[in-house]
Amino acid sequence: MNGRLWLVPGLAIRNLRRQARRSLLTALAMVLGVAVLAFARTLGDGAHEDWVDAGVRLGSGHIAMQAPRFQASRDLKDRLSGDARARSTAWLAEPRVAERVVLTASRLEVQGLASSAASAVPIMITGVDPVVEAEFSQLSDRVVEGRYLADGDRLHAFVGTRLAARLELKVGSRLVLSAQDGSGDIASQLVRVAGIFRTGLPEADAGIVHIPLSTAQEWLGVGDAVTTIAVLLESGWVADDVLARLADRADDDPDVAAVGWRQAMPELDAAIRIDDWGDYIFNFVLYGIITLAIVNTVLMSVVYRTREFGVLQALGLTKGETAAVVVTEGMVLTAISGIVGLVLGLAVTWVFFRHGMDYSGMMEGEFEFGGVVMDPVIIPTFRWPQVGRSLGVIAVVGMLASLYPAYRATRIDVAEATKFET
Amino acid sequence: MSDIAAVRTDNVWKVFQHDGMSVEAVRGVTITIERGEFVVLAGPSGSGKTTLLNLCGGLTRPSRGGVWIDGEDLTVMRERDLARLRLERVGFVFQDYNLLPVLTAEENAEFTLLLRGMADADRHQRVRDIFEAVGIAGLEDRRPPKLSGGQQQRVAVARAVVGEPALVLADEPTANLDRASSDALLDLMTDLNQQRGTTFVFATHDPRLMERARRLIHLVDGAIDTDDRRA
Repeated sequence: MNGRLWLVPGLAIRNLRRQARRSLLTALAMVLGVAVLAFARTLGDGAHEDWVDAGVRLGSGHIAMQAPRFQASRDLKDRLSGDARARSTAWLAEPRVAERVVLTASRLEVQGLASSAASAVPIMITGVDPVVEAEFSQLSDRVVEGRYLADGDRLHAFVGTRLAARLELKVGSRLVLSAQDGSGDIASQLVRVAGIFRTGLPEADAGIVHIPLSTAQEWLGVGDAVTTIAVLLESGWVADDVLARLADRADDDPDVAAVGWRQAMPELDAAIRIDDWGDYIFNFVLYGIITLAIVNTVLMSVVYRTREFGVLQALGLTKGETAAVVVTEGMVLTAISGIVGLVLGLAVTWVFFRHGMDYSGMMEGEFEFGGVVMDPVIIPTFRWPQVGRSLGVIAVVGMLASLYPAYRATRIDVAEATKFET
Repeated sequence: MSDIAAVRTDNVWKVFQHDGMSVEAVRGVTITIERGEFVVLAGPSGSGKTTLLNLCGGLTRPSRGGVWIDGEDLTVMRERDLARLRLERVGFVFQDYNLLPVLTAEENAEFTLLLRGMADADRHQRVRDIFEAVGIAGLEDRRPPKLSGGQQQRVAVARAVVGEPALVLADEPTANLDRASSDALLDLMTDLNQQRGTTFVFATHDPRLMERARRLIHLVDGAIDTDDRRA
């Protein structure tokens, strides 16, 4: 049966070679299409990774370990006690989780008021470990005046440009922070501006104040409690997996909840989903064009070879085998050009992998999207599962595009097709 | 087995719909062609020769009546079984050769053997033998466009008989050939008929082929006008 098995692919490949120019043109269109799709996908993934990274570094990490009601209440009474904090830290140290964790930052967050002689403004006060936070948060990279908090600081504050403007603050200026303390009483703390940052996000620049964690704990009378342990992972792609593991642990603990970045930053999640849908539509249109190109080539080939298919069937080829010849032609054409296109797309990705693709010429000033400021330089992200998915889609496209021509080939009237034509 | 006819038709009709009109291409033909016969279907254009040939080979299904090859009723067969029957028991020679241009002469000839799953060595030996017999040895690796009309028709004959089918149906096999090539081809098919007992049924206008027929069936308007057996 060997000969018969090889007959179908053998005929298919020879037919493609016979129509070399047509096959080549179709393949070229596919190569370019798939290359564009592959590069666009890696660029899109890279952009999303950038956005998530920017969002989680400004916010509460890929995952935040908090008291169950803190995400909704933002109230100091919903804080992690010392014990709850210790349990969370232990879960984060478990091997399957720890291998994905890059950094953890304990924070004490409280809503309050910042006031100076000029004005008073509602803000979010965050007590941070200056050394850890300098590595974790993007704020330390956005200093426009002075410096970020440092180890040994006590009554220092790091404020945004808009807040500084409203309160007429400069580096060294004093301001008073007021908030409800751990027992519900209003407490105030005098601090001095160590540095001023600018993120480009109006709400961050006007509403975030960092002070040392120890100062916040002492001022608010909460001992060693924190409200959040922010967890930074190696990549956003592993967040769902790690979150599931931590949530599984937290399910049995009434004092701790694991909150993913999607829940903590719904606007960023929505922005990425919307962008993804845009990509899907782009992919759908491009794959649709590719599909039609293959349908056209294979169908033309079937129509052109009506007589040959008639002869093949007259000689004993079954309709199923006839269809298999046509589908194989489409699949071979799609597979070869799809793989070449994918390799080309990934080669382009590799070119931009080191320095990224710089969109700064297309952006005036800062561009905010989904609650984060977009970095104008996007580094494409290569992921094997994405390559696997692309290959799967290419195979499906090849199969679908060949079905109708294959059907047409099986419907040939053998007697009519083999008839002598003058 | 030997008393079963190679082909039999019983009151077979073929009606085509053309521009909303019914065209009766074959009208109530009943014939029995025994094994080893050398039969010519003759008649003017449009008399139904090719359609009757196609009905006998299972290339088209009758509108009414029955067709049997080796006693098997073609009208009740599924497409797959019909393809199998054509592969194993019928050889076709078409007027314009109908060789596959992507295959070499040898690959064209061995196509049905490949479909039957014959081993490589046996297949190649059979093709070499038949190429020798039909006088085209040495042309195995040429593709059809590189062969003359006579050579292509010999490849087509080789393809039709290489599987040793019980029945070979040939539609105007000499129509596109010069006299010398025609004569050579007819000698070849006569030899195959006499030496191997292969049943041949031709549809033709060619008087030289009619002269060689041992049975001449004349069709007029889709029906049998005369059916002459010769010694």
